[in-house]
Amino acid sequence: MSAAAAVEQALARLREAGAALRARPVAETHDALADVLDAWAAPGSPWQAELVAKLPETTGFSAETVREGLARGLARYDGAALRALVRAELGALENGNSGAAVFGFETTVAVLGGAIPLPTVVALLAPLALRAPVLVKPAAYDAVTPRLFARTLAERDPLLGACVEIVDFRRGDDDAMAALCRADAVVATGSDAAVAAIGARVGPPRRFVGYGHRFSVALLGPDATRGAACERSARDLALDVALWDQLGCLSPVSVLVADPDPGAADRVADALAGALRDLEPRMPRGCVESAAAAAIARERGEAEMRAAAGRPVRVLASPGTAWTVVHEADTQPRPTPLHRFVRIHPAPDLASAVASLHPQRAQLAAVALAGFGADEPAVANSLLALGASRVCAPGALQTPPLDWPRDGVGVLTPLARLGRYERER
Amino acid sequence: MTAALGPDPARAALDARVLAWLREPGASNGATPRDDERFDALARALFAFQFEHCAPYRRFCEARGRTPGAVQHWREIPAVPTGAFKELALHSFPAERTAHVFRTSGTSTEQRGALHLDTLALYEASLLPSFRRGVLPDLALGARARLRVLAPPPAEAPESSLSHMFGVVVRTLGDEQSGFDVRGGVLDVRGLRDALEAACRGAVPVALCGTAFAFVHLIDALAAESARLALPTGSRVMETGGFKGRSRAVPRAELYEGIASALGVPPGRIVNQYGMTELGSQFYDSVLCDPDAPRRKLAPAWTRVRIVDPETGNDAEPGAIGIVQIVDLVNTGSVAAIQTADLGRAIDDGFDVLGREPDAEARGCSIAADEMLGA
Repeated sequence: MSAAAAVEQALARLREAGAALRARPVAETHDALADVLDAWAAPGSPWQAELVAKLPETTGFSAETVREGLARGLARYDGAALRALVRAELGALENGNSGAAVFGFETTVAVLGGAIPLPTVVALLAPLALRAPVLVKPAAYDAVTPRLFARTLAERDPLLGACVEIVDFRRGDDDAMAALCRADAVVATGSDAAVAAIGARVGPPRRFVGYGHRFSVALLGPDATRGAACERSARDLALDVALWDQLGCLSPVSVLVADPDPGAADRVADALAGALRDLEPRMPRGCVESAAAAAIARERGEAEMRAAAGRPVRVLASPGTAWTVVHEADTQPRPTPLHRFVRIHPAPDLASAVASLHPQRAQLAAVALAGFGADEPAVANSLLALGASRVCAPGALQTPPLDWPRDGVGVLTPLARLGRYERER
Repeated sequence: MTAALGPDPARAALDARVLAWLREPGASNGATPRDDERFDALARALFAFQFEHCAPYRRFCEARGRTPGAVQHWREIPAVPTGAFKELALHSFPAERTAHVFRTSGTSTEQRGALHLDTLALYEASLLPSFRRGVLPDLALGARARLRVLAPPPAEAPESSLSHMFGVVVRTLGDEQSGFDVRGGVLDVRGLRDALEAACRGAVPVALCGTAFAFVHLIDALAAESARLALPTGSRVMETGGFKGRSRAVPRAELYEGIASALGVPPGRIVNQYGMTELGSQFYDSVLCDPDAPRRKLAPAWTRVRIVDPETGNDAEPGAIGIVQIVDLVNTGSVAAIQTADLGRAIDDGFDVLGREPDAEARGCSIAADEMLGA
């Protein structure tokens, strides 16, 4: 059977299962989903253990990184978080006798990308919470997580299990992709170009939700650039960098040091380099492709040349490519080769630091913020206004709450179909 | 810009030694021995000169603990990443002696790399034997070939090292019907077709040279006219360059199929040239000069290519993928040891350059530097 035919058949089965799901009380579905999340989030969860055993081989992350990332990330994805999310996003819409109704689509497709398992959990969870069955095209690097989540669902609630199907096919199979894009709603993650290409295939009246690639930064003020506070911020940021090997959109690629003290960025760079060095034995960086390793070597070399040209640039790095901190001379954050490669940018004041983010505000995901004392809420607000969808403390970047409005939109509402019965003439 | 001062005697001596090598009779047919001892001595002498005369390079080397006194072999000479040429003027002569500047291609918003030269003598002396060996190995001494070039002439692109190279080649090795087919930035398809059809009528083999993207344009244009050409036996194609910043990218195998179909030149007679603005020398596929052996890029005797493990900085295991580093003795006026942005693999006595797989799926959802650059 062709992959396209497999997709069509899976969608047909899902329509049938979805009808049964919609016919039963929604609370039963939410209870089952909450139970599954609690099972996954529990310390010592066998599901986490299975992911730790299987993901390193396909994703390239070290087992220690997977273990730490799952334990921290799933702790915030429990049943209570799901109930709170449903209340927050759907409760107001369905409130009382307003006549409003919220539905999922008859079929939802999730085209997944990347190797980080946590977004996969959300991608499956969201349509199911709306009682919409979901067909998943797994990411090339992680076919494990969706299958395991589907298995957990089926064990807890066979009907929910029947509402998840997984199809995999080779990249470039146009017929299969076209079949996927005939679903009523399509969610895609990947580079902006990849997401746009899928979006172009979906088209109205179908719903399309795309999540492109984003980046995150840290912003440290004077209270976080000296003494114990500096060490603590650096340790926390090192964890944010090391988890998922800095490949996630919530991974900080740059640290902006907004402090008039000319030695502040130096102190932060030294502390962060020390923290990454200390973290490496406990949570080793995973494998890197040749191209990524070459990019790290190249970026290091170019930074060394900037230093040789007399600019105040420093390269602090491991002997191999495991981690790199470049203390840059300029204020402008920019992408790095990732895989634990961070730039430190000095800024004379808060205004110039925030202004430096302006050119890339559309691609800004989150900011880790510390060191501004009583001004912190106002600073956070300015960053949210700029375009960040999350501002949090250092060390918390990789543990977003379940209701994090990724890319500035809700978790459930983009996949919801709203209706209203207007009784009054 | 004009040369205001006389050349540095040490530099002049180095140039003379390199030029002597470039002009040896066997240079154009690969008969010039690689002579590792000669290369090592000249490379280290050049390193010592550039260490002394190029201050940023000296500081770069000192930071790595590599001084002329400490470097015992050419492999130990620190290589400058090509990206540095975008930010610094890396020359080993006084700035006022700059006679020519070649710049890398790039988009209007992108900073372009620049190679500052005080003389073109070595550049021109090295390109001819390499071109002959790679593209015209069967051309008799003193004979001329029919060359058509899918690139702008030097007058229209004075900062393009590629156009300059083609200019020298056409002037030196081309017959009276040779010339350029990109004018005013546009591929003159009609004029090129006329030239190629004339060659077909006269059964004159053609060497059709140009950028890969220009060939894509040509193939598209011929397809739009439902035209196919069958170039005379003995014809060959030389293509170079990638697709960065272009509206579309075509895998090399697909490009070669398109060329074979549109022009009647089989893949076995299509030569890829690997070169870059930052290097004086070029590297050509072996398919024409060594057709029975695997396709690989051959290094001129006055260059050395290392495939370097990015984790260790040492030579990669044989056959393993690594960073392409080149030491090019022709670069007497800038820096001889260059770390390219390319990955490669050693093959026998040559090497292959591997592009990043265009469809490679990202492992995460963060924006990598390469992705931003490609956007």
